[in-house]
Amino acid sequence: MELSVDPPPEKPAKKPAAKAGPAWLIPGAVAPIERADPYLDIEDYDPEADLMVLNLGPQHPSTHGVFRVKLYLDGEIIVKAVPFAGYLHRGVEKLCEKLAFTQITPIVDKNDYVSPMMNEQAINLAFEALLGAEVPRRARYLRTLVAELQRIGSHLLWLGTFALDLGGALGGGSTVFLHCFRERELILDLFEALTGCRFHYNTHTVGGNRHDIPEGWASLVKQALAVIESRLPEYEELMTDNSIFVKRTRGVGVVDGELCLELGITGPMARAAGVDYDMRRDAPYHAYDEVEVRVQTETAGDCQARTLVRIREISESIRIVRALIDGVPEGPICGHKPIKIVLQERSAGGQAYAALESPRGELGTWVIGGGVNKGTSPYRLKIRPPSLHAAACLPYVLPGHSVSDAIVILGSVDPIMGEVDR
Amino acid sequence: MKGAPKNEELEQLLAAEFGVTEFPSDAPPLVDRARHLELAARLKALGYRLYVTVVATHYLPQAASKAGPEQPEHFEVATALRKPTQGGTLAAWRCKLAVGEGIPSLVGLFAGADWQEREQFDLVGVRFDDHPDLRRLMMPDDWEGHPLRKDYAIDTACTPWR
Amino acid sequence: MEDDRAFTHPLYDFMARMPGLDVATTSVDKLLTWGASNALWIFPMATSCCGIEFMAAAASRVDLDRMGTIVRGTPRQSDVMVVAGTITVKMAPRVKKLWDQMPEPKWCLAMGSCAISGDFYRDIYSVVPGIDTFLPVDVYVPGCPPNPEELMHGLLRLQEKIRAFRAGKPRGAAERPPTPEHMRRPSLPRLDDPTRPDELSLLQTQSAGSLGHGTEMNLIELRRSKAGEALAAKLAALRAPAAPAEPAEKKE
Repeated sequence: MELSVDPPPEKPAKKPAAKAGPAWLIPGAVAPIERADPYLDIEDYDPEADLMVLNLGPQHPSTHGVFRVKLYLDGEIIVKAVPFAGYLHRGVEKLCEKLAFTQITPIVDKNDYVSPMMNEQAINLAFEALLGAEVPRRARYLRTLVAELQRIGSHLLWLGTFALDLGGALGGGSTVFLHCFRERELILDLFEALTGCRFHYNTHTVGGNRHDIPEGWASLVKQALAVIESRLPEYEELMTDNSIFVKRTRGVGVVDGELCLELGITGPMARAAGVDYDMRRDAPYHAYDEVEVRVQTETAGDCQARTLVRIREISESIRIVRALIDGVPEGPICGHKPIKIVLQERSAGGQAYAALESPRGELGTWVIGGGVNKGTSPYRLKIRPPSLHAAACLPYVLPGHSVSDAIVILGSVDPIMGEVDR
Repeated sequence: MKGAPKNEELEQLLAAEFGVTEFPSDAPPLVDRARHLELAARLKALGYRLYVTVVATHYLPQAASKAGPEQPEHFEVATALRKPTQGGTLAAWRCKLAVGEGIPSLVGLFAGADWQEREQFDLVGVRFDDHPDLRRLMMPDDWEGHPLRKDYAIDTACTPWR
Repeated sequence: MEDDRAFTHPLYDFMARMPGLDVATTSVDKLLTWGASNALWIFPMATSCCGIEFMAAAASRVDLDRMGTIVRGTPRQSDVMVVAGTITVKMAPRVKKLWDQMPEPKWCLAMGSCAISGDFYRDIYSVVPGIDTFLPVDVYVPGCPPNPEELMHGLLRLQEKIRAFRAGKPRGAAERPPTPEHMRRPSLPRLDDPTRPDELSLLQTQSAGSLGHGTEMNLIELRRSKAGEALAAKLAALRAPAAPAEPAEKKE
């Protein structure tokens, strides 16, 4: 696929700015791709063609969970792709309607199981907006720190599994996988020192955090970051300098910026397509207004660009953590009343939406107050998962690629099924 | 609407062209469902190009009380769009639907509405008119009922698996 | 799976016919036991969070490979199915089908509380309350999710079980401690529950078997079939006497 260097043509109906391109796209961003028709009636396709139907998933090692894509193949080329979700639908939203605000945090941990900290923060941001709880400055710093550490861990896991998807091209694939998990364990050790858990932390609460920074944690963080940073060039060597990797990813699975926005795709995938938007910089929450966030963008919008953006985001997160770790202000970590009884938070009604930049994009929570037990539960809770929107790009992008490319695209999209299905 | 700063642009637009007079501080403004699609198109032209979410909520019939007047069974569908630029301004509005009424689908404007609307159709049972592919997303195709309705028991059995 | 005999092989029959080869048979048996317990090929039925911890267990720090395990992507080459994560109503027939595709002798390890009992999702309309309502589980590894070390411990226990099984101990006879009265039973009887209706296994097999033939689940059809109606009546009878027991427990 050819990459155009021209900025996309300006739409006449658009109001703001007399700039060269739209304000949300960086110059040189990839031109709009030719979208496949996701609603193509397969009967209308060439009747002479010998079509084959291939079910990829729901149990397939490279679908990153229980995701199923039904592929209609003409030879080895995909004609139509129909994704199916819902194999991990656990009814989290229904469950949350029965639980008190204070009980929900450990439930949503399991949604995006690659970055549980982000789920907790997203849901508590919405609850704080609904209940009007203030978060003290120390807790906001602590949240920023763990969010960035979690971003490093999440991207490392993605890098490892993506290398597995690419398979034999990268020394059996498991070289990068083993490297990445070695570094991810360092991040998990930090979280274990902070909260006592490797995986599902339950450390955030309405109005602050539960676990204060233990003594000596800052130096542990610095040590771990030094190790990870020293090994980042290795990944660049193993992945981006590898000619086979470049051949399998460059120009594969291009998603342009306009399609990203229309589909609601945010995060590294949109930034790889030249969408210069990051909630950490543009709509700051936590302590991001006190630290500089350099948004990492690429213009090509293909699988290689997504890899580059994610690898660079790791080093950017390392920089943010380093900038914050020494300046954590003193003070309480929970400004709100600490949890004494389960039913202590109460809301009469109202609606709130709060979002943050998870490693996959905008993770938001829409919460409507005034549920059962005199308003101690939400009446309705809706999580806006970034992965669902990212996975929705597949029917537009997959047709025209071969099956082996489909695996690469699926990996680079990084859908977490716990989050898509909830 | 809590959690997002007040959106003056949206309120002016709604007051001037859509005849909305009430702007509650703790909830998005109510818009006539017939003008749902028109509003989304206007906002998209204004730069709200990022599709955020759609939330359908089921309300059981309520007798008149201190909290408010009598309410029949109804649905509310809230939609949110965002400007992907500095500030990330959020535009959100609600539409009220009686039982059996549908709401225009936004798939023609925002491709991302496809799965979100399918999910809400599946779980809450709100019909999105002119949706090109309105199937269940989460539950199996032959599932009975809509789980997120308030009168749906959370532990509904489903032989032979639970 | 209901077969209580130890693993048989044509080689055994041949050896039995040759006089004076008892010693050799015993040695071959030991060799096979050694091989079977130390070369567990794992089929990871990883659906959610536990799958990530399974990956962490297979990766650098814990390194399951040193126990002789290999993670395979296909059920047809595997000995052990590790069910890691929540199994939903939509996924369950697929898990059953994959289990049926595995060659005997096969083993099942339930990793994490979702696979064991459904965890806090057990009351939700779409979640199967524990995989032992349709799979014969050999080892349970509790935790949410269990640490990689705990998974490793579970695999060591499985090796012990395989050795005992090869030595002639019947497999299905592992004693389950009696469920205390205050603990809730899953909404479906477990596979080793004597009160389990026959129609349940039949319908589960039919539901798994109907996959891939143009039908998605056949839920409604199954429920309206003769066996489905008989099952519904039996399950209702099973659940009915349990109801008054709960308030009595609360009084104590």
